[in-house]
Amino acid sequence: MTNHAQPLQETHWAFQPKAIAVAGSILGLVAFWSALPPFTVRSPLVPVLIGVLAIAAGLWAVTRGTRRLGWGAIASGVIGLGLGLLATRSSSGNLHVVFAADLVAQVFVFATPLTFGALGGMVSERSGVVNVGLEGMMLMGAFWGVYGADKGGTWVVGILAALAGGGLFALLHAYWSIHLRANQIVSGMAINFLALGVTGYFFEQLYGNQNIPSGVSTVPNVAIPGIDHMAYLGPAIGDLNLLIWVGVAFVPLSYFILFKTPIGLRVRACGEHPRAADTVGINVYAVRYAAVVVSGMLAALGGAFLSIGFGGGSFTENMTEGRGFIALAAMIFGNWRPFGAWGAALLFGFSTALAYRLPVYSSSAATLFQVLPYVLTLIAVAGVIGRSVPPAADGQPYVKQ
Amino acid sequence: MADESGSVLELQGITKRYPGIVADDRVDFDLRRGEVHALLGENGAGKSTLMNILYGLTKPDEGEILVGGKHVSFSSAKDAIESGIGMVHQHFMLIPVMTVAENIVLGVEPVRDGVLLDERGAEERVRELSQQFGLAVDPTALVSSITVGQQQRVEILKALYRGAEILILDEPTAVLTPQEAGELFAIVRSLQADGKSIIFITHKLNEVLEIADRITVLRRGKRIDTVSRQGATEEGLARMMVGREVLLRVDKAPASPTDVALEVKDLQVVDERNLEKVRGVSFTVRRGEIVAIAGVDGNGQTELVEAITGLRRIASGTVAVRGREFEGHFTPRMMIDAGIGHIPEDRHRRGLVLEFNLAENIALHDYDRPPDSKRGWLYPARLVQRAARLIKEFDIRGGGPLTLARALSGGNQQKVVVAREVARNPVALIAAQPTRGLDVGAIEYVHRRLVAERDAGRAILLVSLELDEVLSLADRILVMYEGRIVGEHAAGAGEEEIGLEMLGGRKEAA
Repeated sequence: MTNHAQPLQETHWAFQPKAIAVAGSILGLVAFWSALPPFTVRSPLVPVLIGVLAIAAGLWAVTRGTRRLGWGAIASGVIGLGLGLLATRSSSGNLHVVFAADLVAQVFVFATPLTFGALGGMVSERSGVVNVGLEGMMLMGAFWGVYGADKGGTWVVGILAALAGGGLFALLHAYWSIHLRANQIVSGMAINFLALGVTGYFFEQLYGNQNIPSGVSTVPNVAIPGIDHMAYLGPAIGDLNLLIWVGVAFVPLSYFILFKTPIGLRVRACGEHPRAADTVGINVYAVRYAAVVVSGMLAALGGAFLSIGFGGGSFTENMTEGRGFIALAAMIFGNWRPFGAWGAALLFGFSTALAYRLPVYSSSAATLFQVLPYVLTLIAVAGVIGRSVPPAADGQPYVKQ
Repeated sequence: MADESGSVLELQGITKRYPGIVADDRVDFDLRRGEVHALLGENGAGKSTLMNILYGLTKPDEGEILVGGKHVSFSSAKDAIESGIGMVHQHFMLIPVMTVAENIVLGVEPVRDGVLLDERGAEERVRELSQQFGLAVDPTALVSSITVGQQQRVEILKALYRGAEILILDEPTAVLTPQEAGELFAIVRSLQADGKSIIFITHKLNEVLEIADRITVLRRGKRIDTVSRQGATEEGLARMMVGREVLLRVDKAPASPTDVALEVKDLQVVDERNLEKVRGVSFTVRRGEIVAIAGVDGNGQTELVEAITGLRRIASGTVAVRGREFEGHFTPRMMIDAGIGHIPEDRHRRGLVLEFNLAENIALHDYDRPPDSKRGWLYPARLVQRAARLIKEFDIRGGGPLTLARALSGGNQQKVVVAREVARNPVALIAAQPTRGLDVGAIEYVHRRLVAERDAGRAILLVSLELDEVLSLADRILVMYEGRIVGEHAAGAGEEEIGLEMLGGRKEAA
């Protein structure tokens, strides 16, 4: 079948099920959005119509075999329709509090550590090493980032120190799981506890019981000329932290490296079938070591964002508070793909940001919203919207013959 | 071709020792330009080790490798590839989720714009190669979506893409259907015509005589002899491989079937994906006869056997053992108690617990009843006693009752399964591909044993993908195609006719 499908596929790309499904997903968002500021449509008809359109697009795509994206569009349509309907019935004053333009900025703030973490986890697992140690590597990045910025006098040193800290722990994880062939989950958990201990110890030793002195150099915000004073766009994206933009840039960058370069092909080969890679002369150990170390460095950037990015030059014990694990969930939810992982990170960031604002309506609903990332991850792992498929050799130590 | 100076490859005195065993013992081997040189030997004779050494995956303890007259030393596959050696592994080294082109160029990728993978260029190059050597594959197809035969072509293309002049084919027909094997031989001949030199590893005698120019036989790590195809016979090669006379034809008296032991009626079975795999199969097997089911892999044989032995739920129909009828849901234990013995097609997954010792493996059916256990207590000594008796009776070599099953060779592992199943004195013995992956000596043993059990009055149902095996053992032959029995033949039926039915030929003609 596949042999002869070539000439048939020359329909215009916009009419392919994939494109329709993506359009449906976006329509679902629009259904909700239409009832929110700045549009604040008050008639329930609009979100309902747009939502139905999204569901229809999803169904069309599903019947044509694009199941994962199609079901995504359907879900997006249903949720958008429902939330849009709710929004039209809510007071517009409340709406303006919850859905102010800086919500977007806040979503990015919450999503950025997850983005770095998820991309990091993806790089490692695509090469075949499960990285449960993201949390610990992130924590290392957070602490050494702020330490470097404090002692070095500039945030650049802080970033370098964070990379070194996260990279070092990643190297440890790589040595355990690649060289010693230890159980990778156990090794990752060991990294997490070790990081908790090491950062706690040095925090105590270097800063006593006092906090990090104020005035530590932090990663600057980027004011985009022209946009920073615009209505809506200004508060949304006009003045975001540099690391947020770096995180956003890393998404397409990692996509191109992983899927469009020889290096990416080799990394993926090691994660799918290391022996096959070995037999064509690829050094599986070297590739995996490199991938794990890069993974730790990415996670560390997420940690640095917490301490010297958005965090404004602070550190507390266990500062990451499980964000490494949520990043792991985002990676799984995103099916080990850069844009998928990013989308999941944004979704999780959105639900966290919303949870901060929903007490306007009801504090219990706000708490409930914080559960959303975990529920979504369970759904993704259970395979309701197309099963998440990890790399075939993910977590398996490679033994040369 | 027969010129001595035309050696493209020479192995001199290759020795490789593993703890407790010498895998290769001063083996010499030479390959001439444009020849097909078969490396023949039983499992464990040292063929694979020798080729892994040649392909840089393993380092020899002693010995020299000369490529084109020059001494070389390989420390990885990369070195071997650079010397123009390509290998097609028995278990394909392909990544199912990647395309054919991606698999072929992996490690030596064409690049555009400095850093990007040149996918178009890769596909173009694959197309060129596949035309040049007559290996039809679609470069854009995912490997998971193409047939096993096509996957093998991808493996060959992978080697050719890297500029291989010497191709090692490791047991290349093990996974192929007879038709695909025929296509492979045509490919090998065309590669030969292009001046490629080929090492063809196998333990199948008929293949060697069909394709090879010269044949080197290995036995227990030693090179026994190198002969040219002219004048070589299956019997002679088998003697060299095994080290003694081997009966390639099974000696058996005509069957004298008595009462019906196993009766299957209108059996229908579906698989995990709810696809109909067995579509209304009926047959009987009498005591004292061997009924063989012939067919190409995947035509419902596996599901049929699983249904009869209680391992898979049946959709409808009945299975009767000695007149006792089973329908609906029945368990393996019920079938065992009714008198069915089962030699499963996959002895590692279903036949044995590899991490258990032989005594425990032999007790798998009876561990919970006297004399093995009483009132919930297991008596290990009795397990060991019985195992010791069976090990002797069934000539199981390589270990005692307390040896782990994993430590035994394939042939001896199979003997353990046969011993366990036969020792329970079953009415009907179901043997699913009982000689799969076994070497000549072990095959001979299993065949003789099956005939002996038939003569002892058991009903034998043999399921085999090897037509030769079916023809030499069966008293009656059933041909299975797409879940149905499409033909029935008495012993001595023609190979042609059965072969055609196996491919659904008769249905089309009708």
